[in-house]
Amino acid sequence: MKVTRQRLLAALVLVGAAMVVLALPALADQGGSGVSPFLPQADSPNGRNLWALYNWISLPAIVVFVGVEAALLIVVLRFRRGVRPPGFVPPQWHGHGLVEIVWTVIPLVVIGIIGVLSFSELQTDFTKRTDAETQMDITITGYQFGWRYDYQPDGVQVVSNGNNPTAMVVPVDTLIRIRTQGQDVIHSWWVPYLMGKTDAVPGYDNYTWIKPMKVGTYRGECAELCGTGHATMLILVKVVPQDEYLAWVKEQKVQASPTPTPKK
Amino acid sequence: MAQQVLAPPRPKAYDDTFWKPISLWLTTTDHKLIGIMYMVTGVASFGVAGVFALIMRVQLSQPNLHVLDPETYNQLVSAHGVTMIFFFVTVFMTGIANYIVPIMVGARDMAFPRLNLLGFWLIPVSIFIYYAGFFTGGALNAGWTGYPPLTELKYNPGSGVDLWILSLAVWGVSGIMASTNFLTTIVALRAPGMKLTRLPLFVWAQISTSILLLIVGSPLVAVLVLLEFDRQFGTNFFTTAGRPVLYQHLFWFFGHPEVYIMILPGFGMISEIIPVFSKKPIFGYSSMVAALFGIVFLSMAVWAHHMFTVGMNIYVETFFMVMTMLIAVPTGIKFFNWIATAWQGSVEFSLPMKFAFGFLATFLIGGITGVYLSSVPVDTQLHQSYYVVAHLHYVLFGGSVLTIFAGLYYWYPKITGRLLNKTLGEWHFWTVFIGFNGTFLVMHTLGLEGMPRRIYTYNGGFGEEGWGTVNFIITIASFMVALSVLLFLINVVWSNRHGEVARDDPWQGNTLEWATTSPPPPYNFERVPPVRSHMPMREIRAEREGAASPAPT
Repeated sequence: MKVTRQRLLAALVLVGAAMVVLALPALADQGGSGVSPFLPQADSPNGRNLWALYNWISLPAIVVFVGVEAALLIVVLRFRRGVRPPGFVPPQWHGHGLVEIVWTVIPLVVIGIIGVLSFSELQTDFTKRTDAETQMDITITGYQFGWRYDYQPDGVQVVSNGNNPTAMVVPVDTLIRIRTQGQDVIHSWWVPYLMGKTDAVPGYDNYTWIKPMKVGTYRGECAELCGTGHATMLILVKVVPQDEYLAWVKEQKVQASPTPTPKK
Repeated sequence: MAQQVLAPPRPKAYDDTFWKPISLWLTTTDHKLIGIMYMVTGVASFGVAGVFALIMRVQLSQPNLHVLDPETYNQLVSAHGVTMIFFFVTVFMTGIANYIVPIMVGARDMAFPRLNLLGFWLIPVSIFIYYAGFFTGGALNAGWTGYPPLTELKYNPGSGVDLWILSLAVWGVSGIMASTNFLTTIVALRAPGMKLTRLPLFVWAQISTSILLLIVGSPLVAVLVLLEFDRQFGTNFFTTAGRPVLYQHLFWFFGHPEVYIMILPGFGMISEIIPVFSKKPIFGYSSMVAALFGIVFLSMAVWAHHMFTVGMNIYVETFFMVMTMLIAVPTGIKFFNWIATAWQGSVEFSLPMKFAFGFLATFLIGGITGVYLSSVPVDTQLHQSYYVVAHLHYVLFGGSVLTIFAGLYYWYPKITGRLLNKTLGEWHFWTVFIGFNGTFLVMHTLGLEGMPRRIYTYNGGFGEEGWGTVNFIITIASFMVALSVLLFLINVVWSNRHGEVARDDPWQGNTLEWATTSPPPPYNFERVPPVRSHMPMREIRAEREGAASPAPT
């Protein structure tokens, strides 16, 4: 009777695990569905690199997770007092030097590899882009409660307030260097489908960059608690083709100065 | 015996019942009664902060709800964090150690009983000061970390921040007192034969916790005092030119070790429980102790991993990343040793052991997500998102809270003389295990999808379509956790009067607290028992049973 229940439990666990494994690809990368077990793929080279890094870390992570949970399950199933003969005295181990060294060294090697991968990604994508590489600069200023985008060299300014954000319009396939600044308290500019977040701290500038790979609209949000309006500091990034972007810049300039003033 | 003379004469009624005169509770210097008061205070805080969490979950269950306004939400999110971290977990852990550690080392009380009394009574004072904020125009509203400039006077004119600072300063002083007391007790008051190499691992965990709190408690008070000077005396420590980040450095120098202050005693409890219920000695005693001190050392060199998005030099970030990853090694050693302890054992899944295994199964997930978070590039996506909320609850709920439950089921018979009810306990375990995972497992995906933490609502529109459903599931599951805690509280109160009477040694324990009566007399031991190994109860039991040879070790 006991063995049957034990087998039933093991079978249930196996079926459950198989269902999860089969469901993973179906769940992965369903943008906006809220149920992806993996980091969604971002549409900027740096965002995509760290998406890949996330997936690499997942390899040992899944192995460790499955291995340890399986070991726990084996203890539950095979070493329960209920399945032991009455009066059974287990072996009185106090430790085992070699075994302990093995499970110290293996994690060291694994985290060593993760560390090296992470460091090389840091060097690739987290250093400030040079002027030569940069095709365009946008200074993003966070304030209570909204964002201001200043474009260089185009000289356009976009102000985005509250729950109905004004889009930061950018051209596709262009390396845009982003400088973040905080005007009052600390904010954090985050568009997850393009790149990780960068804090906007009062007092100094932070740099990041994006190079949008696809035309489309991307959402984001302030990621650092900044007061009562924190939840309303939404971000909208609209990636458009090059010519459309130029037209947009022209339109913005007309709107900004309806009557052209003579140069001083 | 000479020791018996030391026993203070007391009315018998004081010792035999839980319901003692209020004058005794107010003035006692007995470490056991102080321990109980710490634990009751902790559980009360747990209840209050849990209710805050439920209110927030109702607010978040659907997009665009207005159960709370943003200001109230920010106050609740801060109060939930502060109460759970400072007034529940740390306080409860101090309480259970206060009760158990002196008995485990064979002492009659803590080294400084009156300091112990003062240390405890500072906790209600600290809680009172914090909660006064709710009645004086609003409590802290900037998250439990209270980053300036948001907490500077200019952006936060109310008195809530000042009360939070004062409250935590008082709390810090209390923690320093308790740590000093624990260390002195363990160093100076051990029973004859209780060599350092024979200390129970729970006591070793308490040593490492106390050392950690002693080192990082003072910087916490210091940084809070600097912030208060900024607010009231215009000193400009953290106001301009990048100095808000200085606050973050100083705060997290306390804040990250605090995580370990909350979990190391739990590790200690698990190290006591697994050998007892597996009928095996702990696997790798010395590597368990070494791992504790490895964690203590590393935990003070990782603080900036909370700040990977503030803009630091990538080599500095790499240093903190590597140190953070290294913590996985001692933690892994502890994990593997626990499993090896149960391996090939005769494992009895009574309630303490169920919670211990629940802890292993869930804390693992918190450990693994911790490795993702330690990688700087990946962290720029996950930081300040619901992924972090899920991670920290896996280590603090799956870690600290489940170990607290395990410890309580284990030591409740020693403290009250009665066992906790088994049926209620089983219901408690399964509701909390399913409810907890239901709440926090899916939360990871919200973070991956880009939902930041500490937002009071979301619009559920463009790119957020699935958020409502997931949040609704989380809210339902969180009420299951609330139900489980309710069952637990009913059990604790009911069993105290009506539970099955426990013998002195209901679990066949390994450590000295099982050598005395349940509950122990005020002076703990009639006669200090002999200590001949790190599992002294094995020899004592064998002697008492009149066995010819000592139990196998």
